[in-house]
Amino acid sequence: MNIVLRAKVVVCLLAGFVATGALHCVAQSGAQGASPPAAQAPAREVWQREFDRICSRTQEAMSFSEEELASLVQRCDALAPQIEKLDETRRKVYLGRLHMCRGLYAYVLESKRNQKK
Amino acid sequence: MVLAAVLLMTGMMLAQIYLPPAPPPPAQYGRVILDSHAVRSPGPVVFDHWLHRSKFTCRLCHVDIGFAMTANSTGITQESIRQGYHCGTCHDGKRVVEGNVVFAACQSDQPGPACDRCHAEGKRGVRKYDYNSYTAKLPKTAHGVDWMLAEERGLIRPADELAGFAPAKPKMPVRGDFGITTGLNWVHPVLFSHEKHAVWNGCELCHPEIFATAKKSEVQYSMFSNLEGHHCGACHLKVAFPLNSCAMCHPRAPLWAQQ
Repeated sequence: MNIVLRAKVVVCLLAGFVATGALHCVAQSGAQGASPPAAQAPAREVWQREFDRICSRTQEAMSFSEEELASLVQRCDALAPQIEKLDETRRKVYLGRLHMCRGLYAYVLESKRNQKK
Repeated sequence: MVLAAVLLMTGMMLAQIYLPPAPPPPAQYGRVILDSHAVRSPGPVVFDHWLHRSKFTCRLCHVDIGFAMTANSTGITQESIRQGYHCGTCHDGKRVVEGNVVFAACQSDQPGPACDRCHAEGKRGVRKYDYNSYTAKLPKTAHGVDWMLAEERGLIRPADELAGFAPAKPKMPVRGDFGITTGLNWVHPVLFSHEKHAVWNGCELCHPEIFATAKKSEVQYSMFSNLEGHHCGACHLKVAFPLNSCAMCHPRAPLWAQQ
């Protein structure tokens, strides 16, 4: 086997190796897409990301300063009009939750202010 | 003599008023009948808390998913379920809970046998789970399953998150338990487990809706208000262990006996 032929064989083997790897990657990504919905992260809208940022912090409410709590209450108030524009179901679900988040932050804020008195 | 009789009668009447009504049998305790009154509804839904509370915290359903604390006030519709909200948050035929795919609810436009699994009011033999067999291995009190003990023993592990639905929350710092002294020295003080309540309910399920004020001295409640479904009675009259389980909240001796 001459050198040119050997080189062609090596190139073919390398190309085959790369192609197999690429196909494997494609198959992997396809498998991930078919996994349960919990693993899929649907694109969240702007209002929803703000909602998540606000309402995912209720467990820590007691550790926030008065300024942080007041800011969270304000953000709740600013977000409410955006949620009111949604369809009926999402409006019901998310306004209810926002109401609870706001209520808690206002409650803790009041509690902290009372402690100072 | 007459005075003594009047005093005795008054005492008995007060005792009667304070006594909570006998709860329904454990299998029916926490049962909620949901009736949308929709023309094409296959009948009212029978929702048993004992099944779902063994798998999920109260907070997950009543805060994240948005189920109201009183029946028929959430506004659940077939459409909202199909959109993936309310029951449809889990019952979408895709979500896996404890290794099982949760069946999809409300997919058919025509009432039929598939609907009866939830729309079970007045129908026999349509429910998949039976209270006695489902709770056979769980610890019991006189009023049904002791859920706190079941959790402590690792027999149940209620989930507090639904992946993909609500963002993960940081673990809550442990809140201290505290005692609540009563206005009458013959009443046993309450030992309130803030930690236990917070783990199951989060903060916002109780504050400020059920316990509205942040000033301790301003929180005025009694067995009367509890029996009307307010304060502790918001849960402990309908779903959480019933108010008849006196020692669960009043474990200590009354003040006059602690001397």
